[in-house]
Amino acid sequence: MPKKVIVLCYRKIIDSTNNNPWDRYVHEDSFSEFKMQAQYYNQEQRFTTFAEMLLNAPEAEKLHFLVSAAITGYLRQLNGIIPDVLDNLGRRFLTFENFKFELINSDINSLEKHKIAINFFSKPLIWHDTINDQLLVSQLKGSNEEEIFTNLFQIQPFVSIHAIKNID
Amino acid sequence: MLLPLRYKLKNRNYCLMSMICWQNQHFTLLQCLLTVSKQAFVDTFVTSKIFLCTFKTGNQITKHITMERKNFIRSLMIGAISTPVIIEACKKSSITDGTSSSGSGTAGTTASTNGTCTVAPTETEGPFPTKVPASYVRSDITDGRSGYKMNVKITIGNLNNSCAALAGALVDIWHCDAEGNYSEYGGSGMQSTNYQSVHFLRGRQTTDANGLVTFTSIFPGWYSGRATHIHVHVYNAAGTSLNVTQIAFPEGSGTSLALVNGYSKGMTGYTYNNADNVFSDDKTGVEIATVTGTLAAGFDLTFKLNVKA
Repeated sequence: MPKKVIVLCYRKIIDSTNNNPWDRYVHEDSFSEFKMQAQYYNQEQRFTTFAEMLLNAPEAEKLHFLVSAAITGYLRQLNGIIPDVLDNLGRRFLTFENFKFELINSDINSLEKHKIAINFFSKPLIWHDTINDQLLVSQLKGSNEEEIFTNLFQIQPFVSIHAIKNID
Repeated sequence: MLLPLRYKLKNRNYCLMSMICWQNQHFTLLQCLLTVSKQAFVDTFVTSKIFLCTFKTGNQITKHITMERKNFIRSLMIGAISTPVIIEACKKSSITDGTSSSGSGTAGTTASTNGTCTVAPTETEGPFPTKVPASYVRSDITDGRSGYKMNVKITIGNLNNSCAALAGALVDIWHCDAEGNYSEYGGSGMQSTNYQSVHFLRGRQTTDANGLVTFTSIFPGWYSGRATHIHVHVYNAAGTSLNVTQIAFPEGSGTSLALVNGYSKGMTGYTYNNADNVFSDDKTGVEIATVTGTLAAGFDLTFKLNVKA
């Protein structure tokens, strides 16, 4: 297989079923921020859900960006390592510099209905080969060495190839 | 009746045998990893010395024992007689590390896979997350945007208390940069972990005992259709909105607006307060701030806002 450079995307969904402390902080703080910011787009207090706001106030699309400020501190606490996605040795192996925060849905009256996503975009990887349902990848480095250190990981739900480039 | 999987790892042969046993009122997956010699499997029972067994309930490794070979064989026989033994062999080899419980990293939810064999997270736990305020909470909201320095002092009064100072209120301000642009998502919507400049010129402070909040910012630019302005949103301590408004700037020769002169844009096509759709109905000038200062030293803006708290 000719070598390609890929960027992976892991879309981490966080809702009321996540129990992990980090996930809970992100869930709760993004909900508090949503309730504050949404008031600007709901001054007549006609709406209770994010879906209603988007439908009726097109500017409410900005809420993804505005609410993201609540969680950037938690992203810093990840030290650049993408959570949850494991290689076949059971370790996190992907690093990120770019991300995108999304509000999936929310309800100002119900934390239970608050659902967000954080898209983590990995740093570029070289995709060497595929073995069954596992990809063999390595970090993209400038130098061309004989022996390259690789990771083997299983294609899993919520992980996708975000971008691809052929290299000679 | 047991279907072992055999594979090689670093010059040692491993055999993974799995079966589900009825034990202590539970079905547990008994997986035994046998370290074998280089001989074939049939020989293994005879020649191997160590039997490493991990007991799992679901995905949790609960016990880890080393058995003498004869005891292991005995336990298999008992299993075969007393319960129907279900043979389960993973299609892929997934050796779980028996030395640690399933500790996970900072955010430990494993991306689940539709029930096929997967590795369990096996890393040292922690670091543990700590509560962090929104990145709006800062006094200096410049974020590297170029422009003439401006200090913003806003005092909040409570209309329900004869306009006495309102302490503990949250005050958000935001405005455009020298070119007239607000911080927002770019085309791809991606943000970088160089977090500094993403939410530029947006900030949040809490009023002190005097009802005062202070920000360090730059003099705003302007954009078509609007006079120069700063957005303000006041909330009570619980985050409930008390007031959404905008601050206008004084006009006329010698004012800061005239001195800044729209930065590189100039003032051609500028909308002045009396033509602005937000400020044109403000006859008494209650929405206009007091602004003093010079281009060299920077500007000072003060504004009093009364809300119903």
